[in-house]
Amino acid sequence: MNSNAMQPTGQAADLSVQPALVATILLVEDEPVTRASMAARLTRLGYRVLEAENGRVGLDVARRERPDLLVVDWMMPEMDGPTFCEAVRRDPLLKSSQLLLMTAHDQPAQIAEGLVRGADDFLSKSASKQEITARVLAGLRTSRLVRELETTGDELKSSMLLLEKKQAETEADLQTAATFVQSLLPPQGSPVHGIALAWEYQPSLTLGGDLFGVMAIDEDHLGLYILDASGHGVAAALRSASLMTFLRGENILQLLGSYDPEKVLFEANRRFPLSADGDYFTLWVGQLHLPTGSLTYASAGHPGALLSSAQSPSRWLTRSSFPLGFDPSARFTNDRLGLKSADRLFLFSDGIYEVPSPSGELWGRDRFQGVIDAEKQTSLSATIAACFSKARGWQQAHHFPDDAAVVGIELTGGPKGTFNG
Amino acid sequence: MQIKERTATQGIILDVEGDLTYANQGVFKAAVEKAKQTGCRHLIVNLEQVRFVDSAGLGLLVLVSQSFKQLQAQVSILKPQSYVREIMSLANIPKLIPIFEREEDALMARAA
Repeated sequence: MNSNAMQPTGQAADLSVQPALVATILLVEDEPVTRASMAARLTRLGYRVLEAENGRVGLDVARRERPDLLVVDWMMPEMDGPTFCEAVRRDPLLKSSQLLLMTAHDQPAQIAEGLVRGADDFLSKSASKQEITARVLAGLRTSRLVRELETTGDELKSSMLLLEKKQAETEADLQTAATFVQSLLPPQGSPVHGIALAWEYQPSLTLGGDLFGVMAIDEDHLGLYILDASGHGVAAALRSASLMTFLRGENILQLLGSYDPEKVLFEANRRFPLSADGDYFTLWVGQLHLPTGSLTYASAGHPGALLSSAQSPSRWLTRSSFPLGFDPSARFTNDRLGLKSADRLFLFSDGIYEVPSPSGELWGRDRFQGVIDAEKQTSLSATIAACFSKARGWQQAHHFPDDAAVVGIELTGGPKGTFNG
Repeated sequence: MQIKERTATQGIILDVEGDLTYANQGVFKAAVEKAKQTGCRHLIVNLEQVRFVDSAGLGLLVLVSQSFKQLQAQVSILKPQSYVREIMSLANIPKLIPIFEREEDALMARAA
């Protein structure tokens, strides 16, 4: 490398006390006299000037020094100015550099060729001091803007990476929480002898707010509930997990002495008031007396349950009632009916049928009930799968806008030949 | 969701168009707050053009009704569509918030 190549000329040392304010210009020119002359003119204008006697050396210097502006001669041996410009544009480190191409000519065709091959502007070798000043300033102004953009872009990129990392951590946390909540849901199969249980649950987000339970309360009773939290997201899921903890069989027995649905709702209503943001629960609670098949149930604003019998169309098990927290003094009323062998009881969240078609029409309770009736000859799990499949078909999407759950219980025969059938 | 406000001598009517759901809570809250700031004594929420109210929307209606009651003011619901009426009926909303089929009746309710 020529000794000139890396040596800044002019007053760089004097200006080094304010390095950020001194723009660096790389001058690539093979002809020594012209190079020295132009370097002197630029130095007098107060710039730090680096010199290179050919394109190859110029590229090396540019990569190392990242000058603010490159002033390049058109006519050079080995690598001419336009070829140098092309090399700069291909170089990932240099491609956004500002390039001023020096030429003795200013023919439109030549200017066009230079621009096409990567130059940003032209400078005539015979240009006046004013013109040189103006073109260099314009080039440096663009260079500063480009560098600011690059810095902003880099900052944005690192912010994005940080955000993505944080998001991945949050997603992992949510997934862990979701796995924990799913572990609280009852295992499918047979919670007690004579009862089959199947369910399907599709939270609208990673962590769902609609939860349910099916559990043996004592040797004669099966407790059932499904709760629906208004709203979505982590807050709703946490509130649901709290209510779910409250509804655990041993907790209710300790508090109330039995899993009497109306008493459970009364106590839950007292403990879970409407939040300041208008968040609340709807809740359906049932208790099945296993020896007789007698079901006692009560609802707090919940859309209810569906009873499906082999011989008759399904029927809704609900009545108008306040959701939890709407009225602190609300009382809830038990309803009772007898279940027979092969009867099926479905608990569900409204998210399974409140799904809109692409035109905005809801699938609705009637169509949901229609699937329960149409599928009664299939297995419990197949009936539930059909509900999800039809709902997805209606909305033409896999994911549900709200948490969707369907829980099915079938009386497969009592432990001592009970359940009249 | 779009909400247009109309002022009558006996109160403010909010003509709601779209779904009153979790996603649209902010728009509804803002419209209610604006009405409240005027010292409105009777807010009539016209649901004639609302096809769907989800659980979050219901909670919001109850919350707004409670906050108006605390100010000795009233919220009424006007002309809910059948599906919305069914959802409201299930949650016993009519016991908390009066529901009217005719605007004149809703306006008269507070005047009376």
